[in-house]
Amino acid sequence: MAYKTIIEDGIDILVVGAGLGGTGAAWEARFWGQTKKIVIAEKANIDRSGAVAQGLYAINCYMGTRWGENNPEDHVRYARIDLMGLVREDLLFDMARHVDSTVHQFEDWGLPIMKNPKTGRYLREGRWQIMIHGESYKPIVAEAAKKSADKVFNRICVTHLLMDEAKPNRVAGAVGFNVRTGNYHVFKSKTVICGAGGASNIFKPRSTGEGAGRTWYAPWSSASAYGLMINAGAKMTQMENRIVLARFKDGYGPVGAYFLHLKTYTQNGLGEEYESKWWPELQKMVGREYLDPESFHLTHRPIPTCLRNHAMISEMKAGRGPIHMVTMHAFQDPHLEEVGWENFLGMTVGQAVLWAATDVDPKNENPELTTSEPYVMGSHATCSGAWCSGPEDVSPPEYFWGYNRMTTVEGLFGAGDAVGGTPHAFSSGSFTEGRLAAKAACKYIDDGKGEGIVVSDEQIERRRHEIYKPLEHYRVYRNAVVAGTVNPHYINPQQGLDRLQKLMDEYCGGYTVGYMTNEKLLNICLKKLKVMEEDLESLAAKDLHELLRAWELKHRHRAAECVTHHTLFRKETRWPGYYYRGDVMKVDDENWHVLTVSRRDPETGAYTLEKAPCYHLVADEVATGSHAAAQKLSV
Amino acid sequence: MPTFVYMTRCDGCGHCVDICPSDIMHIDETYRRAYNIEPNMCWECYSCVKACPQHAIDVRGYADFAPLGHSVRVDRDEKRGTIAWRIKFRNGTEKNFLSPITTKPWGTAIPKLAEAAAPSKAMRDSQLLYNEPKWIRMDEGGLRTLEDAGLKLKKGVYY
Amino acid sequence: MFAYNPFASLSGTLPTGFMQVFVVVMAVLVVLGTLLDIVHKGSARYFFDNWRRSKGRRRQPVGGGGLASIAVKTAVVDVLASGEFCNPRRRVAHLLGMYGFVLYLVATVMMVFNISADAIWPKLWWLGAAMVCVGGYWFWFFIRVDVAAEGRSPWRVMKADLFILSLVASATLALLWAAAGGGAGLLFWLYLLATAVLFGGVPWSKFAHMFFKPAAAFEKRVSHADGTAENLPTQTRDDPEQQQRHSMELLRNAPMDMGLGIKREAPRHY
Repeated sequence: MAYKTIIEDGIDILVVGAGLGGTGAAWEARFWGQTKKIVIAEKANIDRSGAVAQGLYAINCYMGTRWGENNPEDHVRYARIDLMGLVREDLLFDMARHVDSTVHQFEDWGLPIMKNPKTGRYLREGRWQIMIHGESYKPIVAEAAKKSADKVFNRICVTHLLMDEAKPNRVAGAVGFNVRTGNYHVFKSKTVICGAGGASNIFKPRSTGEGAGRTWYAPWSSASAYGLMINAGAKMTQMENRIVLARFKDGYGPVGAYFLHLKTYTQNGLGEEYESKWWPELQKMVGREYLDPESFHLTHRPIPTCLRNHAMISEMKAGRGPIHMVTMHAFQDPHLEEVGWENFLGMTVGQAVLWAATDVDPKNENPELTTSEPYVMGSHATCSGAWCSGPEDVSPPEYFWGYNRMTTVEGLFGAGDAVGGTPHAFSSGSFTEGRLAAKAACKYIDDGKGEGIVVSDEQIERRRHEIYKPLEHYRVYRNAVVAGTVNPHYINPQQGLDRLQKLMDEYCGGYTVGYMTNEKLLNICLKKLKVMEEDLESLAAKDLHELLRAWELKHRHRAAECVTHHTLFRKETRWPGYYYRGDVMKVDDENWHVLTVSRRDPETGAYTLEKAPCYHLVADEVATGSHAAAQKLSV
Repeated sequence: MPTFVYMTRCDGCGHCVDICPSDIMHIDETYRRAYNIEPNMCWECYSCVKACPQHAIDVRGYADFAPLGHSVRVDRDEKRGTIAWRIKFRNGTEKNFLSPITTKPWGTAIPKLAEAAAPSKAMRDSQLLYNEPKWIRMDEGGLRTLEDAGLKLKKGVYY
Repeated sequence: MFAYNPFASLSGTLPTGFMQVFVVVMAVLVVLGTLLDIVHKGSARYFFDNWRRSKGRRRQPVGGGGLASIAVKTAVVDVLASGEFCNPRRRVAHLLGMYGFVLYLVATVMMVFNISADAIWPKLWWLGAAMVCVGGYWFWFFIRVDVAAEGRSPWRVMKADLFILSLVASATLALLWAAAGGGAGLLFWLYLLATAVLFGGVPWSKFAHMFFKPAAAFEKRVSHADGTAENLPTQTRDDPEQQQRHSMELLRNAPMDMGLGIKREAPRHY
């Protein structure tokens, strides 16, 4: 095809993916690099791209330090508890101490944040969450990014990162194709901040027809953050930590405001409270340290998300479903009713549509909840992503190698879903991570670390050929059959996606198997993924839109493979309710109170997995006084 | 609930094609009007619905689980800074909502950081971000450190 | 040249009634084509079905007088002024093409049925055809949504292009033919062919939409007048009662004109 090659050279900071993470990076980069060249490459249209396309009704990560509501370390402890102990506490502390300045800036820009009429403070939904009218959250932050960036390239599907040929393991930019014109775009840059999306649709969704689009996380979150970085040889962490969500059935509408603001609660199909009956058995599996219901009234320690899932899953399996959200009482109050509906309209309109279609009025009935299929991402109640360096003043030596939020590939930074170990960042935290990465990237350049990059024409040509291959493959092998989508020489992206989803679902703990897997199943999964990788060389795309889907599939596949390796490596069931290792059905702090780190060799495709130590924030006295505790290392 | 486009309302302006985050609003080859080419990749984010100046786009809940006869329509008014919703149930129940989408005129309150005072070397060497530390607590305090919190990062099993 | 009736140049070569028969046949083709479109596709049945159903849902009555005044508004604003277009460039291009086509058509009929028609008619014919060309080519290369917003090549042709291409071809060939002195040479027959495709292609092209669109515009206005408003929300910030809504608190002291955000730019971000 006669597509042009368009080269954008001399970039200092290339932001790949302009979601909340990427827009944060682009915005902040201009301050630290007032004369630097900042370019954004975005797959869709920056004004509505990413997971915040339809808006948000709450900002779930706000400390409220100005009003003495919380301290950053409180948030770290909360995230640690929710993730069963395994998080990057240095990155979390760093994100939490900065996030308030991000939120205050959002308000200053015009984001409507609800106020508590009595105190004048932001209206809290819960301890960490504040309520907003955020339908235009994305257009507002996109405006900020546009004001900072020199150029914004929309509709560019970035397929690969460019690697420096002068110095190994150093990034040199990115390449991709324009989804509208088809042209080949090459971005030569000293640094890349990856703000691309996490992974939806790598496991079979509960709805498989049209409804496959009603994923909890956006369907355009095609694991590109992971696909790009894994392929560049970056180390990844906690990729086994997939998340399963308990949400309103079918529509996957959010429940946060319901639990926290409307004070609704769950019941089983018989109208009973059901969670507590599962705690004793669960406590045997995870240990009292992680689940101690007897002391709830004393500690007010929140129960981890995954454990609550486990109770729901178990209850349904025991035949006492469906699980209901008891809304009837709360919805009698017209103000709460308005909040309940607007919560969807500003965040997940699909849920409102579903209730309108099924005549569900929460005033008159208690709607159903269910657990979703698994997702892999890094900014919610889960923390998959790249293994990144932390801030110098906080991180221990194992967690620091020069620049905040830089991956193990030099010059490659992450923000949002791309960064591993920082759950509960949500929108504001992701934007904040982008800001942190931007400052660090500017420092990296000012330190001269981005000098002497060499990218050969050969690399650029090789990638070009690779990118368009599915189009060419279709064009040629289409000739083999009369018509239709069945062809022995190729698969189209939808067929490939169906296959990936079924395979991950059945072997890697999807919902149809009750989130259950084991060593044997995981090994079969890897084998099948390898065969699929061969078949991906025969992907066919009939037009540019299908070519986009083809590359999204390739990124999804790569992420899925990494997820499977990690799930196999971690020999325990750390997060029952997210997934289970049938062969090791317990938490094993002795051996596995660590973070898993993997690296795929770009040359050979082989994965190496290792354990990385888990550091926790402890009070100084405890740290210095208790050497015995320090003996319980597993590294 | 994927989107669909009303034949009699669409005039082929392209706003939906331009905004769709999923790249699924495209132009039909027979009518030169928009339509949803891949409903199973439609998140029902309503970006196209809100963008259409003719209100030509609407949503019909996903066929997997949503019965017919409902309507959830929207009017996003940038000028007034509001978004209005009208929900009609299959059984006729109707609900209306109106809320703000911005508190300030679009784009006017966002500064151009290229014009901000350049950061000092001290600020560069610190852990501070733009507008910090002032904008963290809106006071004269500094950025929180582990020392402030009386904490240390320690390897091992702690709860 | 502009005062000369180009059809007069045919009197030597073609039989006298030829062009007149051609014009009548074109008119019949349009009528038949539109009827075929309506009947075969059932679009008329759909329209009236819809009309009947929305009548049942009416919130407030719209009497005969109301309907009449809406009809006038539709005719004046939506039809004559192409008021439904909110984008000024598209509106101007459409107006040029629409009035150009009307002028060109009427002038053709006048000159074909009266060889010694007044000198104004050839002038109007030239003007009309030129307006069609300006509006048409402008649309074809720059405004066409599959080119402007979808990024397709301007040289790509699809079924939806049948109307605009045959229209622009007819007008272009008409001008070329007349500029070359008329007569019944190759240009003339090409001109006739393009025109035949334009009028004969009605069942397959968007020609009939020029009749459907006014009906749709009328129906839309009626829907807003009778309170159903196409199921769209009707509450706005302009209503003092709505301003007092709890959810609208944050806008109490904000300006009524917030300007434009996403809509500030044209829809071609790639």
